[in-house]
Amino acid sequence: MVGLFGGFASSGPVVYITSKDIFTIHGIEITNSIFYGWICGVILLVILITLARRMTLKPKGGLTQYVEIGVSYISTLVESSFEDPKRGTKYVPYFVTLFFFLLFNNWLGLVPGVGEAIKIHGNPLLRPFTGDLNATLAVGIVTMGLVYFASIKEAGAKDYLKHFFIGNPLNPMYLFLGIIEMFTDMTRVISLSIRLFLNVTIGEIVIAVFAYLGSFLAPVTAAPFTIIELFVGALQAYIFVILSVMYLAIAVNHATAEHSLDLTDELVTERIGLETENA
Amino acid sequence: MILLADAVNTAIIGKGLMIGGGFIGPGIGIGIIGGNYMAAVGRNPEASKFLGQALVFIAIIELFALLAFASIFIVK
Repeated sequence: MVGLFGGFASSGPVVYITSKDIFTIHGIEITNSIFYGWICGVILLVILITLARRMTLKPKGGLTQYVEIGVSYISTLVESSFEDPKRGTKYVPYFVTLFFFLLFNNWLGLVPGVGEAIKIHGNPLLRPFTGDLNATLAVGIVTMGLVYFASIKEAGAKDYLKHFFIGNPLNPMYLFLGIIEMFTDMTRVISLSIRLFLNVTIGEIVIAVFAYLGSFLAPVTAAPFTIIELFVGALQAYIFVILSVMYLAIAVNHATAEHSLDLTDELVTERIGLETENA
Repeated sequence: MILLADAVNTAIIGKGLMIGGGFIGPGIGIGIIGGNYMAAVGRNPEASKFLGQALVFIAIIELFALLAFASIFIVK
């Protein structure tokens, strides 16, 4: 008995921070997170297509209505972010897909059997897709690519470039601030993807640590953290979607505003004064 | 000083300081956001619909705590 606990004390919990190669197809290494991402993608397609076929005008209950709540919530969110809701309608399908993809990947990563339980060549066979920086970076690059493409298309290249500057770009101070603003814009890909990756990975690590501390009571000690991770997974999918919608909506709203807001205009102070007096 | 470095595992101390220091700031920040949100709801119950926006800012702050946590795997 002493030897058993002594063994536990010396080893420590096993945590995996990076994904591991499990097999190769024609020289391309397939990691465990990509493999589980494929499985999750197939499960997601099957579930959502089945539910979409069962959709009726009068709700019948079941899983369909929960998916409908999510879809209507995200579509309202996307449309209400734009000043002109009609502009936002065509971006709804992408963001709803993104939300359900991230939600299912975060939640299916918590299923028992993912991680340490099933092993192949000494590495875990399954790893949550969003627990890999390559995966979240890919999602982030695609999303921000869409955001840049859509805002340039909606606003025009000239207006899009102009929305970085608060005043006349020929003024060196405003030019400098505008360039800093552009660099800030580029960090969004990194911050979106790192936030999702770290939340999922650190959740896995915390669950592994508490399962280790509980030794033979592992299900009891790890259960509260698994429930917290259910909440965090849903929250992070929502955060990812709302932040990318906000980036898109800010660029489009700012660039397509009818009156160009030039804060350095001499008339602005007078106008503000008039407005406050009237109010 | 050399003897101290031999006797003590300095990486453990470094990790402990990093976790402690890195979690103080985001803890204060999330506390301010949550406190102000509850104050706003107490003053005007209509304001409870802005919970989503409060969560967005919490997620932005939380990133820095997560970066500190992730860094303990890099320190040797």
